[in-house]
Amino acid sequence: MFEIISKQILAQDIKRIDISAPDIAKKVKPGQFVSICPEEGDERIPLTVVDWDSSKGTISIIFQEIGQTTGKLGTLPIGEPIFSILGPLGVQSQIEKKGTVVCIATGIGAAQILPICRAFSRVGNKVIGIVGAKTKKSLMLEAQMRLACNKIFITTNDGSYERKGLATDILRELIKKREVDFVYAIGTIDMMKEVCSITKEKSIETRIQIKPVMVDCMGMCGSCRVVVNGKIVLACIEGPEFDGQEIELEDFSKRMETFKESCKCKNQKLISSQQKKESPTLMKFLLDILKD
Amino acid sequence: MRCPQCAHPICADVTQGCPLGISVPKFIRCLREGNVTGAYDYIKQNNCFASICGRICSAPCEVACVLSEDKSPIQIRELERFAADFGRTRFVKKIQKNLNDKKVAIIGAGPCGLTAGWKLAKQGYQVTVFEALDKPGGVLRYGVPDFRVPKKVLDSEINNIKSLGVKIKTNFFIGKTATIDDLKSQGFEGILIATGAGTPKFMNVKGTNLGGVYYGEEFLMRVNLTKTSIFSKYIPTFPIGEKIVVVGAGNTALDCARAAVRFEKQVTLIFRRPEDETFVRQEEREFGKAEGIKVEPMIKVVEILSDDKGSTAGVKCIRMDYADVDGNWEIIPVPDSEFTIEADTVIIAIGHKPNSTLSDTCTEIKVNRNKTVKINREDCSTSVEGVFAAGNVATGANPLINAMAQGLKAAESIDKFLS
Repeated sequence: MFEIISKQILAQDIKRIDISAPDIAKKVKPGQFVSICPEEGDERIPLTVVDWDSSKGTISIIFQEIGQTTGKLGTLPIGEPIFSILGPLGVQSQIEKKGTVVCIATGIGAAQILPICRAFSRVGNKVIGIVGAKTKKSLMLEAQMRLACNKIFITTNDGSYERKGLATDILRELIKKREVDFVYAIGTIDMMKEVCSITKEKSIETRIQIKPVMVDCMGMCGSCRVVVNGKIVLACIEGPEFDGQEIELEDFSKRMETFKESCKCKNQKLISSQQKKESPTLMKFLLDILKD
Repeated sequence: MRCPQCAHPICADVTQGCPLGISVPKFIRCLREGNVTGAYDYIKQNNCFASICGRICSAPCEVACVLSEDKSPIQIRELERFAADFGRTRFVKKIQKNLNDKKVAIIGAGPCGLTAGWKLAKQGYQVTVFEALDKPGGVLRYGVPDFRVPKKVLDSEINNIKSLGVKIKTNFFIGKTATIDDLKSQGFEGILIATGAGTPKFMNVKGTNLGGVYYGEEFLMRVNLTKTSIFSKYIPTFPIGEKIVVVGAGNTALDCARAAVRFEKQVTLIFRRPEDETFVRQEEREFGKAEGIKVEPMIKVVEILSDDKGSTAGVKCIRMDYADVDGNWEIIPVPDSEFTIEADTVIIAIGHKPNSTLSDTCTEIKVNRNKTVKINREDCSTSVEGVFAAGNVATGANPLINAMAQGLKAAESIDKFLS
């Protein structure tokens, strides 16, 4: 039912796939995500819907191949059905006319901020985009971002493209130079922390999008709990967008740290090596080549 | 063989014995005569999950049994399991039936929803069950671990229900993928909300947001979603420590502990009440102990301690005991009895509350203060006409058998509403 229609490699380890999912494409709004399980028995992962076409009935997702499940999703060929997609989940972003809006993103966050930029400029805001990448190779969706934003700044950590430096440096300069009404940030936890501390001094409204670990993505496991205003809330129901000043990122980053460590666990390696062996898609792919 | 075959059996009474109203003495007589298929037919009149109830039912019928007063009661649950496992036909025949043109939508393919769907399909309605996850079964698939309800048994029971003509639409989240109003415009005349109570109750102590702290639902879901092959059967796919502390006195807590013991970890189960006042059957508790779970009753968690990296280091607890509080015999903390249990994973399973996503998107449906859907106790109807609610979403956390009984009741009132 959920067939992969097209597939594209955008940058190093970053892929974009279009999936046919008419029910979801009809309902999805900017900022919402879907929960994907590539094959039966895999982990379910939340991924932001970057683009959608309700007349064709397709949704596009962009992901970085870092873990087991995203790795498997990347190996699925065009025409292969995906076992399960659930969505659209989460609350849609609050898009209002604010004036000058700065959208800042690093790494894979650049893909997730694209629908937000488009939505903000559609309601008549002046959108300034800041995109940070490690190198020129890992920069993606540059043309689309240039179209969606009125002005765009690009930084790379090693200086291989445009400006050398961090995305947050540009934000600091921008705020000094001109008036900014609203900041929207997606990226690593450290980057979002930095952004929130910058905007707190000037008391500029800030919203961020977080990506916690989720299991079922419908508010039943409690894995994605975060503390907002001193209260525990579930990011899959009330998120993934939160007010940058209200959410306690320190607490959240601690929880995420333990899941990162687990990738280096012994049992984890054992399983991933096993699953590679018995991956049916790979076998199917090899058999197809042999036939030709 | 000991069953006295009472003339007015209490065990089959809806209010005191089996909430589903299974005619217990009749099926026991069939078994006594050696007619296992006949016994299964008697159970199947009221229960579509006979093999599952035979495994995990809380068995109110055994409490109601007249023999429970002086000797031990008839083991009705085990008899039901035997009848269901050996009395059913090996192959499922698809029953061609003329369905009428009335469409009923059921939201949630858990025990309550499927029971209602099964009952309505038997009466000839076109039933569609909407399920958000990828497979039907609800708590039976994602909550109860494999050693209590094997997935094979569940699959065959669901196939039986499907053979009656019940359509099950998975990956469809009512409230997000479509709303209740969308369902109405698609021509569904009766809608039953049976989404259950799956959200964990959060514990109000310091340190619950540390790394290595799971809630029972998350832990069980991760265990159940793990793909098991012969090699990876005892290897968890998520971060889990060597010393595990499980907090809670219910079935979920015991399931968590028993699932964790199967990963060959050191498991301690702690709860606040005395051991014989837990909500678990005694035999299950004995199984757990035999498997190596250390049970520590009358202990309250004060704080979950953190190490320097932000993950769990231990659990600070305090002992509880009975004391005279203003003339009442209550359990209160013993002063100066604080101690620490070393642990690197803590699993909290202290209760559930209903998931409010559906009622948030459809504000016409009125909810109670504790987020359960407000229903009329007599006929399960909600504040919106044509929309019914049953199961744990309406009553709060309740045993499996009660949720199924409410499903039956809701099916009857939908039938009444549509005819």
